[in-house]
Amino acid sequence: MSTLSDLDPRPRTAEPPRTGETLPPAERHRLERTVLWPRGRTLITLPLLIGVLWWSSKGAEFAPTELGEGMVNIGEYLSRLWPPDFSELGTIVRLLIETLQMAIVGTLLGGVLALLVAFAATATLAPRWVYYPARWTMNVIRSIPELVFALMFVSAVGLGPFAGILAMTLASIGSIGKVYAEAMESVDQGPLTALRSVGASPRQVIQFGVLPQAAPLLVSYTLLLFEGNVRGATIFGLVGAGGIGLELTTAMRMYDYGHLSAIVISIIVLVTVIDQCSALIRRRLT
Amino acid sequence: MNPPAPTTSAHTTSAPSGGHAPEAQAPLVRVRGLEVAYDTTPVLHGVDVDLRPGEVVALLGASGSGKSTLMRSLTGFAPITAGTAEVAGRDVTAARGRELRALRADVGQVFQQFNLTPRLSVLTNVLAGSLHRSAASTWFGQFPAAERKRALELLDRVGIAHKAMAPARSLSGGQQQRVAIARALMQRPRVILADEPVASLDPRLADSVLGLLRGIAQEDGIPVLVSLHVLDLAVAHSDWIVGLRDGRVLLSGAPADLARTDLDALYSGKEDVDVDAL
Repeated sequence: MSTLSDLDPRPRTAEPPRTGETLPPAERHRLERTVLWPRGRTLITLPLLIGVLWWSSKGAEFAPTELGEGMVNIGEYLSRLWPPDFSELGTIVRLLIETLQMAIVGTLLGGVLALLVAFAATATLAPRWVYYPARWTMNVIRSIPELVFALMFVSAVGLGPFAGILAMTLASIGSIGKVYAEAMESVDQGPLTALRSVGASPRQVIQFGVLPQAAPLLVSYTLLLFEGNVRGATIFGLVGAGGIGLELTTAMRMYDYGHLSAIVISIIVLVTVIDQCSALIRRRLT
Repeated sequence: MNPPAPTTSAHTTSAPSGGHAPEAQAPLVRVRGLEVAYDTTPVLHGVDVDLRPGEVVALLGASGSGKSTLMRSLTGFAPITAGTAEVAGRDVTAARGRELRALRADVGQVFQQFNLTPRLSVLTNVLAGSLHRSAASTWFGQFPAAERKRALELLDRVGIAHKAMAPARSLSGGQQQRVAIARALMQRPRVILADEPVASLDPRLADSVLGLLRGIAQEDGIPVLVSLHVLDLAVAHSDWIVGLRDGRVLLSGAPADLARTDLDALYSGKEDVDVDAL
């Protein structure tokens, strides 16, 4: 059998094959310099960004000087929060557990529904006529604040955590559905091609190709959703949709700063513990 | 030695020189006058190719010569605009929906990037080759015991059984390609198409993977159409070589009958190919 060098009689040199196109000398000179000066595009973009920032600050009445003057008041407010009053710790713990339970049910329910909608909103899986309505639905849900949903469900099912869970579930479809869809769009298409070429059905392609590849991202995003839902559940109480929020609002209205401080510290502890646990799980996944 | 000039028509009438396929056996893949065009850009022009049971046919040609398109067209992934293509008795041009899926199930495919699902176990990846016939039980990720037994036997055959429960991503490139070949065999294919299966592997692994494919063709009688860039490998592991250039069959013949200069001509004037691969 012929050797490789026999097969190619052409002379071998270190020169790469010429394609006929060369780098213009001016561009070559620019690229060879140590310091690359910004080009036209950057020179236009930078002032534009500064302009937009100035315009936004003006419109939003952003005034750092006022914040400086108000620091004294912030200090006074914070001093009132000390010392925390844990005399009603039992109530706080019970309400925190209720908040946690709301977040667990809301996240699981919302996650499952969001995943179903996300299949329809994944460009690489769904036909166009399904994809666009699914994306549009998620956009509409996302643009409505969660508190509006909470109010809506309070009027439907009455005061209590159930309304909060429903609000959380619906809001999750909008927020996490889009992220799920994008996670599924970003999976390597190679395995999907292989599965289609063995004659797998679309369901089997999702089950054996898309989900196993997207799983770490999906779980990671679900944990983030759960963290967000725990924090979110603390404000549902504002409209009577369960959780610790109602107790928090009441303490604020009653100027019961010791109790308020105890609630805030308890929420911080809960959220920190959940953040640490989910970070641990996410680290193990990736 | 001066080899005879290559035939200018495709491998249509003569049997391969390897002697593995009886002369009288009908081709399992029969392509005649195949034309493929993406939008309005023609890619293949009147290609004729045959694959008989037990033979390995190597497709050679520069990047863009139409090798991958020819492979894709045989499983209905590329639009055929004229000509005929029959795979295991099925007309590719007429296959739609369920019929197309049945046709694809008959064709085992091996890819350059292996295309295993990285987080699934090696065993599940092989079992995926049986998905077309185990529809109901797979809802819960379960496969019939008989399929599992066969998958493990195939893993034994490709020498990766000891890694059955390892995630596919933990395997080396050569091992992954062996798993991909086991997956293709799991389909009980009538034909195997391998599109540049060794382009990502070092020469030693490339030789071993092609040896495995050759063994499958010889022992199981499953014909293998394999596209390659390395001439040496094509000569060593195939019974017949089809050379494509600009979507046309430029040469076709048994490796021993083809002149080096003619094979070299497949790549001449092509600046964007990996010249070293020659």
